[in-house]
Amino acid sequence: MAERSSTMKTPLNKALAQRRSKRRYSRRSCGEGTYLGYTSGRQTVLKIPTSRKKPKSRDITNQVDPDQVALLVKKEWHLSYVTPLYQFRYTMLKTYSKELSAFLVSEKQQGQTIETGQELCFKVNISVVLGLAETNQDAETIYIQILSKQVFAAKDEAQKVVWSGLLTCINGDVDYLRSLPPEFVSLPLLCTSGPESLSALVKSWLKKTFDCCFGPICITSTNLQWLAALWTGCHPTKNIQYLKLAWTIPTQPPMDVTYKVNPQDVWKLWDSARLDDGAEDSINIEEVNSFIRGLQTHFFRHFRLDLSAGSLMRVSTALGSAHHSGKIKITSPDYMTTVLQLLTECALLKMPI
Amino acid sequence: MGNDVLERNLVLVERMGLTRGLPPEVISTMLDYAMSLRMGGAPCVRVLKFLIPATVVPQEAIVRAVAWLCVGKIAISTQVLFLKWVLTFFDMIDSKDHLRSIYGFIFNFVTEEHLCPYICHLLYLLTRKECVRPFRVRKLLDLQAKLGRQPFLLHLLSLYKVFCPELVTTALPSKLRGGFKNHVTPWKGVLNAIQKRNTGQVTSDIRLTIGVKDGSNSRKRKCNHLQLPSLNSAVQRNLSSTNSRKVFPLEQLHSFPELLDNLHRIELPSQMGSLLGSSLALCYLDYVQDDSAFLRLNFWLGHALHEEFLFCSREGGSGCSSETLHFLNRLISTQNFLQEGFFSTESFLYKFLNVWDGSLLRPQILGLLSHIPVVPSSCIHQLLFEPLMQLFFSSTLFFKCSVIECLNDMLLKWLTWHSVYSVEDGLDISLNSHTPMNMTLSGFMDSVMELVLFVGRLATVGLQLEGCSSLLLSFVLDFYETVCDMFLKFELPLVVMPPVGVFYPALFATDPVSVDRLCFIMCRYKQNLTAAKFQQQEAKHVFHISSQTYREFNRYQLLMVSTLWNSRLFQPGMAVEVDHNLLALSKVPEPSASFTLIRHPAFVGYALDFHLKCWPERKDMDLKSVKAGKHWEWYLEFLFSHGYLGLQQFVQSNINWHPGSGTKSQGQGDGQPTNG
Repeated sequence: MAERSSTMKTPLNKALAQRRSKRRYSRRSCGEGTYLGYTSGRQTVLKIPTSRKKPKSRDITNQVDPDQVALLVKKEWHLSYVTPLYQFRYTMLKTYSKELSAFLVSEKQQGQTIETGQELCFKVNISVVLGLAETNQDAETIYIQILSKQVFAAKDEAQKVVWSGLLTCINGDVDYLRSLPPEFVSLPLLCTSGPESLSALVKSWLKKTFDCCFGPICITSTNLQWLAALWTGCHPTKNIQYLKLAWTIPTQPPMDVTYKVNPQDVWKLWDSARLDDGAEDSINIEEVNSFIRGLQTHFFRHFRLDLSAGSLMRVSTALGSAHHSGKIKITSPDYMTTVLQLLTECALLKMPI
Repeated sequence: MGNDVLERNLVLVERMGLTRGLPPEVISTMLDYAMSLRMGGAPCVRVLKFLIPATVVPQEAIVRAVAWLCVGKIAISTQVLFLKWVLTFFDMIDSKDHLRSIYGFIFNFVTEEHLCPYICHLLYLLTRKECVRPFRVRKLLDLQAKLGRQPFLLHLLSLYKVFCPELVTTALPSKLRGGFKNHVTPWKGVLNAIQKRNTGQVTSDIRLTIGVKDGSNSRKRKCNHLQLPSLNSAVQRNLSSTNSRKVFPLEQLHSFPELLDNLHRIELPSQMGSLLGSSLALCYLDYVQDDSAFLRLNFWLGHALHEEFLFCSREGGSGCSSETLHFLNRLISTQNFLQEGFFSTESFLYKFLNVWDGSLLRPQILGLLSHIPVVPSSCIHQLLFEPLMQLFFSSTLFFKCSVIECLNDMLLKWLTWHSVYSVEDGLDISLNSHTPMNMTLSGFMDSVMELVLFVGRLATVGLQLEGCSSLLLSFVLDFYETVCDMFLKFELPLVVMPPVGVFYPALFATDPVSVDRLCFIMCRYKQNLTAAKFQQQEAKHVFHISSQTYREFNRYQLLMVSTLWNSRLFQPGMAVEVDHNLLALSKVPEPSASFTLIRHPAFVGYALDFHLKCWPERKDMDLKSVKAGKHWEWYLEFLFSHGYLGLQQFVQSNINWHPGSGTKSQGQGDGQPTNG
């Protein structure tokens, strides 16, 4: 084996150094696949967190325009992840709105050689939801609304909202966000609500305009369990009314089990699952696990069916509901940021690099 | 008429035109030829019918053709055919400014009744605001009075009205039914076929691919991540682009000289993924070294690979479809072209190796793997070796061979990288240590060392598992051919000897090729070590190859000489020592000579052959006689003449044996002075 010395020729000159710099972001790369079971110490790695802050009821209407908040809640959102947007400017939202509506019209007209007269006209509003971001690194949330109207509609006829979308980043991994060059804006979570065809069009416009990519997000069993625990933990301040969990058991044919628990009981169970040594305002994955195990044991005692063999598909309370396939509904604005933060994490874990 | 020459040539061009399309200069010549009516009207029609452009139509050709049109000798039906031709290929005309400058001439034909619809369509496509003049409007209105409210006139008029509402005061219907007629032309189908074919074979071509996104042939897949986006220029909306700097969109780039001419004002496309299809664009990307451009490309690429192979959310995962294959091949050829791997591919591979079954798209995955940049030694085990090891030991012989080949490629690329960049003498590169490419020399050597040792382990166990298969051994020896020359070829001061698990199977292989290659490898080791030693003596502190390496080399060398040459195998002091009594039990006569060049299983066939040639009449075979006197010399010449150059080199450089002197001799054993 050889020993080296400092006088050995080592590569460098300016151009070369510059050349190499194109790989600057590479070292963040390989460890992120924590879900595949490994982590790497050589770069900032996005990890699945093992503890979270206890949800604090935050009256976001203090910071965020209540009208905008009203738009965000009580809708069922479909979730997707988005790679960072290139050259997205907050100052150009008006232009974007116009472009998007022109794009939608032209796409809708494709294949129509003769205009039918029932021409749809789209009006697009793209706006910023100020105040939703939690840290300085978080980009401000973008809200996209598509309204449709008939060309020859009467003036007073109300425009109908046909689609809405939300691009957001709440408490995103700071190291990850910092590592991006300034030309990129990371809004990793896209929530859409409206017809699939419009979602596809909006995505394709975003792709073309900001050179980004989209993919679906599934909320894993673990994350659903987190949500169940987080929502249950809110009970003392905000009545959750019920906790409803739906499992699918892999039997032949598959069996769906819906499990609804009284809020008082579930709160007691959660309270007993809380460890004493843990810090008051943070929640541990062990606590969540023991909470869910408690629910499952109870079920087993009554029905002789071990739920842990199945997978958790759906969680709902009065505060909101979430489905494995990547659908979520937030009913109460109070704990909205907690949920969005969890979803931002899911989205960031899906980033290719 | 019977002009055979003309006919033959026309057939030739026709075939070319209909199968592959014609290059711009041919289009220009042929169009001029046809429109000039040099050979009468019939060839003109015929030429127009096969005039399919392969890439673009030069606008000058059209301008000249319009000039011929003005001569007025061409039959009306041919004129119509020409206009239809222009309309069909309008989008392929390279630029339209000269055409616009003869707008007036074209406009003149509008009065010709049969041409009018086509002329109107052409004008519609060419019209700019400055073309709209009162006398033209008047003319069109006159025509309208004469011909009735024809849709083509209305369309043109309405366009005029858009540009200059004050000139066109007549009421036009706000909604026009139908556009210009989409004339059924003979060219469309052929053009589509040609374009499809051309894009298929374009990977090595420098031209931009046309129609990467061919909507018609892509199967309706729900999530088609592997489709390259089309090459579109970025939407210009920034103020910076208005400051009179003319930009040149990449999609208009057709040749390398064009790239050079416009290097300073090229604009990157709106979606970087589209670059993957074009070598020209990649040339540019490599030149600009734009961080964000690379990052955009990597986001797209990583997303495509992840969605297709890791998340495979729907459709039951990715199969070995032709699209996937095509995509990966293109990616590999891109990486070859850029001579480096993308980091999104790298991070994808680290994840994918853990779930890979070792057979899905094997050549492609291994091809990508061989491109990964130097992995720091601290994590090389976890990221690369562990998953590979599992796959290696549980797969077939062929997979084992491909893995060794892949690792050899990888090592070659690392070493090449090192030798290219280490030419520049310079500062310490570890200042900016967060990139692998800014690795220190020692870090780099550690990684190389790890890789070589890893392959040594794989090879040792692999050879055992596969019963020393010659095929596997050959791949392993390929690898060591790279390793033994690291110092001389790549200036890396590192010498690593092969482990015994590789050395002995090669030395005692039953095929002469392996033994020959081992001899060659040992010769190269010797030269490398000698050179290293020399350099070490020259400049005292350059580096130091450990005495352990020299010792190991000497042991191997001595063993080879005494085995192949001196019949001293198993003797005390040799690497392989076996008790005499034990050897006697085997009842092999002269065990110590059983692997000489005469009795070695790899060469015994040659010895017999040689014996037969020397003494054709002898009944009893006595191989010992080959060893005697001149015959030994001839036998060696006989072996060398079969192409065993490694062996020849080995004998010549390590053994004091002079052909002609007749003395068969003492192996000198250690060509290298022992160092400690």
